[in-house]
Amino acid sequence: MAQHTVESVDTAAHRVTLALEVGMYPIEVLYGAAYVFIDRCFVLLDKDEGQSKGGRYLVHLRGKTDFSEKELLDLSGEFGNELLSQALRRKIVKQNQKIIEEITTQAIAGAAGGTLPTDFLDSSDDGMDFLDDPLGIAVPWEDKFKKKSAEQP
Amino acid sequence: MSQDQPAVVRLHRAMYMQQAIKEAANTFADFASFKIVRDGEHYAVTVSDIDGEVEGDVVAEFCNFALHNTMQRKKKRI
Repeated sequence: MAQHTVESVDTAAHRVTLALEVGMYPIEVLYGAAYVFIDRCFVLLDKDEGQSKGGRYLVHLRGKTDFSEKELLDLSGEFGNELLSQALRRKIVKQNQKIIEEITTQAIAGAAGGTLPTDFLDSSDDGMDFLDDPLGIAVPWEDKFKKKSAEQP
Repeated sequence: MSQDQPAVVRLHRAMYMQQAIKEAANTFADFASFKIVRDGEHYAVTVSDIDGEVEGDVVAEFCNFALHNTMQRKKKRI
């Protein structure tokens, strides 16, 4: 089986049931496709053993309004397309996961005005100790101005 | 006014999370009574005392909510 199959069409109940092998798509893909249809249909997911090794997913779609047989079949086709779309989206996200994370990290760091982790990689040693005070910041005020004030009358 | 006949929905345990089903049952608690029990590979949800004045299909809407809640919870896990 290369794709999903229409298991049954019940025009009286405005319901179509699709079946697809468990190994064909990850369950996240099925959820993703179901999510797209949840505003138009009542979606019920089920699973049965079927004839294949891992069993089958069953997708029951029932229209929220009255659907004709043609509309139900169209709906099942749309669901199949959505499965493919979700599978491709998932593949692309997986392939580009690192790039997405890198760009997001840089964007957040840039927006925050902070330093990037890469800024710390090239830390050139200037040979100074933390006790060195070339600008005389640590010299007390009294020591700095004692002479001047003593010279003045 | 309520519908006499209770409806039983079977939700597969591999597809629906129990907490998600409970959350959906809480959402619809004003419109029907829900009893959730494990039944083999499924959760059997008995929906009774359905408010007859409610427009729409309470049971089907409940199933949609249970599915949506499951998706949300699985998303959080990822």
